[in-house]
Amino acid sequence: MTAILEINNLSKSFDGVKALDGVSFAIEEKGIVSLIGPNGAGKTTLFNIICGFLNTNDGNVDFMGSKLNGLAAHRIARLGLGRTFQDLRLIRKMTVMENVLLAFQHQYGEGVIGALAGWKSGRQEKQNRRRALELLEFVGLADKANNLGDELSYGQQKLLTIACCLALDARLLLLDEPVAGIAPEMVEKMLGLLLRLREEGKTICLIEHNLEAVKAVSDRIIVLDEGRKIAEGRPEAVMQDAAVLEAYLS
Amino acid sequence: MDYLLHILILIGIYTILSVSLNLISGYTGLLSVAQAALYGVGAYIAALLALHFHLPFLVGLVCAALGAAVISVIIAAPSLRVHDDYFVLATFAFQVIAFGVMNNWVNFTGGPMGLPGIPQPVIFGITISTHWQFLFLAAILAALAVLLVRCLVRAPFGRVLRAIREDEVFAQSLGKNVIKYKLLVFVIGGALAAVAGALYAHYISFIDPTSFTVQESIFILAIVIVGGSGSIAGSIVGAVALVALPEALRFIGLPSSIAANVRQILYGGALVACMMFRPQGILGEFSFRKLSRS
Repeated sequence: MTAILEINNLSKSFDGVKALDGVSFAIEEKGIVSLIGPNGAGKTTLFNIICGFLNTNDGNVDFMGSKLNGLAAHRIARLGLGRTFQDLRLIRKMTVMENVLLAFQHQYGEGVIGALAGWKSGRQEKQNRRRALELLEFVGLADKANNLGDELSYGQQKLLTIACCLALDARLLLLDEPVAGIAPEMVEKMLGLLLRLREEGKTICLIEHNLEAVKAVSDRIIVLDEGRKIAEGRPEAVMQDAAVLEAYLS
Repeated sequence: MDYLLHILILIGIYTILSVSLNLISGYTGLLSVAQAALYGVGAYIAALLALHFHLPFLVGLVCAALGAAVISVIIAAPSLRVHDDYFVLATFAFQVIAFGVMNNWVNFTGGPMGLPGIPQPVIFGITISTHWQFLFLAAILAALAVLLVRCLVRAPFGRVLRAIREDEVFAQSLGKNVIKYKLLVFVIGGALAAVAGALYAHYISFIDPTSFTVQESIFILAIVIVGGSGSIAGSIVGAVALVALPEALRFIGLPSSIAANVRQILYGGALVACMMFRPQGILGEFSFRKLSRS
């Protein structure tokens, strides 16, 4: 299986503090990889660099054969890299349906000409609505389509952000703490969704602190501590790795 | 009767100005106090072309819009490098610079003396000279401006703008080129303001820098905010409210020497009251109070 994402020797410093120090790994297509590590290990920083919200000081990122270094965040998203945010970003004042519609690519109506010459855009909008409804059914939010983002529970909002990644046509989803702060039934629902996404051929990399959840869905685990990769491999092996246990206990 | 028509014409001009700024500030969340600069650029370009080259009104209108589009990019490109409060300050700086140019480039703009004798517009052979004709012209231009902005904001284009306003990082993560959209709304908004400027120049037949100061920018912003940010109908309601209602001052016996100043107090008071009690304006959906979070 080919690597969909390759990180080579990535380093990042903030005012002399090394947030990431020579991190390298590859993510195979169609699998679920979990990125774990104590707070401050550099996991979200890594996501921000991959997605183009931060520049790297050294090293490079390869996504499906394209170099991501220096590309603007929106370009990277268009290449098929979706992400969710630790602080749960979405548009609370728009409806669930509008949030998903926002994510579709190549919308005629998003250009000035397309907006003014409405009819082509109108047809595409109808198609997108149908597709959006399918995606919302897939994640289990179809009945909330006309509710404002504000009106959803925290867990439902997280499902919505994943639906947006799917509308974006993301091949690789970077999920930052998808099950943090949500009720246990919702955790089950979310993990089930991730497994179904893997079956659909998506690749998922998630940052998580919930080690039970991590064990339940991951094919592989990568462990970061203080900006360095300290372990990588199958969940059973990694969870018993001495270095990993020390990082978490100390 | 002429007086009433005059008020209606002004409402038409300010409707164009307020929808143009609403596109930038109300829908996209970019609080700009430079709109009067673009209004002035449009007025001066149209006036100068009419005075020196006797170009027909519609040609002057297009040139004014194009000129303002260029100036909009000049204002927006550096200003967009900073956010929120600093962005507002950057637009403020450009507004002040623009006034300085209008006021000091005497050979070109006539400086404080302004440009008198701007000819009446001629459209397809018809000279617009009476108040009724000007009202008709103003109404058509205002309707077109409203229609243009309405089409944009009701399309997926408008959805991207609202997303940028609420969370531009999220919009970027969904593949939206945020900078491009911000520049686009500035250009479109600036071009529309220039149309209002051209109309104003030909209607009053005399322009000077004092019509295009930062106070004017704030007045236009007040219309947008009080009428309702992010609402087209709000822009129209706001224009009517802030243009027509103060005229009622004349009828309650205020001496004309202080009427203008009382009007300024009214605008300021309306803006403050609005921000305190109803920040989304009469019909709006977006409240600028949120701008303090980044």
